[in-house]
Amino acid sequence: MISEQTVIDTVSDVLELQNGEITSVSSSENTEKWDSLNHLGILISLDKLLNGQAAKIPELATATSIKEIVTLLNKNIDG
Amino acid sequence: MVEANIKISAIEYCLGEKKESGFDLQKDNPDWKIEDIEEKTGIKTRWIASKETTAVDLACKACDKIFKKVDRNKVDTLLFVTQSPDYFLPSSSCIIQNRVSLKTTTKCFDINLGCSGFIYALSMAAAYIKSGFSDNVLIVCADTYSRYIDKNDRTNRPVFSDAGSATLLTKSYSKRVGPFEFGTDGSNYDKLIVKEGAAKSSFKKNNKPTLYMDGAAVFMFTMSIVSKSIKAFLNKEGVVKEKIDMYIFHQASKVVLDNLQRVLELPDDSIYKNIRDLGNTVSSSIPIALKDADMNSTIAHEELILISGFGVGLSWGTCLLTWNKLL
Repeated sequence: MISEQTVIDTVSDVLELQNGEITSVSSSENTEKWDSLNHLGILISLDKLLNGQAAKIPELATATSIKEIVTLLNKNIDG
Repeated sequence: MVEANIKISAIEYCLGEKKESGFDLQKDNPDWKIEDIEEKTGIKTRWIASKETTAVDLACKACDKIFKKVDRNKVDTLLFVTQSPDYFLPSSSCIIQNRVSLKTTTKCFDINLGCSGFIYALSMAAAYIKSGFSDNVLIVCADTYSRYIDKNDRTNRPVFSDAGSATLLTKSYSKRVGPFEFGTDGSNYDKLIVKEGAAKSSFKKNNKPTLYMDGAAVFMFTMSIVSKSIKAFLNKEGVVKEKIDMYIFHQASKVVLDNLQRVLELPDDSIYKNIRDLGNTVSSSIPIALKDADMNSTIAHEELILISGFGVGLSWGTCLLTWNKLL
């Protein structure tokens, strides 16, 4: 399991945003810095955090909100 | 799988005439953060064909260069890998045959593939030579993707260059090319696509052919499917990754190369990168990298090289080479 807070922290780090600027309802639609370039950065950071498990989930490419990412990761990763 | 006694004898290439820097991108797009883009792509310079130059022109230039070293009359098969043909028909390879004065007995055809195209062509050349159907096969790769890219396209413009390459395959006394591994995932055909201009398009006005790439989807495809395929290939062939002297992947972008390296757990000095000053030259990227690596002695005679191309299709191919010094 990965917690929603861990995903929020990861996305905040990549987008270089302060605590609280990314929340459970954040997405590329409502977060200006969450563009296609930074989405790649989010995918890479998540993969590093999860020791390569995120790279095995191609569907993550289209997961552009905190909720979608958390749901996909928890559906697919071990432990 | 084909494992023929063939070798890559010679490679030559040429680039689009216009050198394009980050400054040029910034001029057209003041709001782009060029440093951020260059950090992700790893590309400082692209080479763009002039308005008058087509992929066939680049192909012919590369052929002219290789024919300074090898006899054109020995070529009996020409495989032209392109997604920027001069016409819907005839095949561009027929035009090249005439332009570079190959014999009229030469077998010529086009292969419509992108970044995996060189590996596919290599396997066909190997099969032709192994079967006795051909003796000397010229693989020519050329594309002018810049024609499909708008000046404000932040996904594609910072990445792609125009280039042409010519690679001669001949018989060898020892096995130097193969084995191969291939794959296709047509369910994601629309993740890297030019929709306009062909039979599915409406032929309406302002229907300019435009390259669309879902960068995140193509990236995840590389990380998941391509890396898995390479691991499975090495496992199947009983080759441990440490035995490979150099990995030469399609030069897609820095972020792709870095993360393939990470996912496959490869040491820094085992992965070849020449993308900084060349950009992504589509199907020519592997032959260009092989030529450069041979020229600067990054790869040497008898070394084991893994080459892997992946992209539009979605399509991928991997091959092992036992290297021989090029002409």
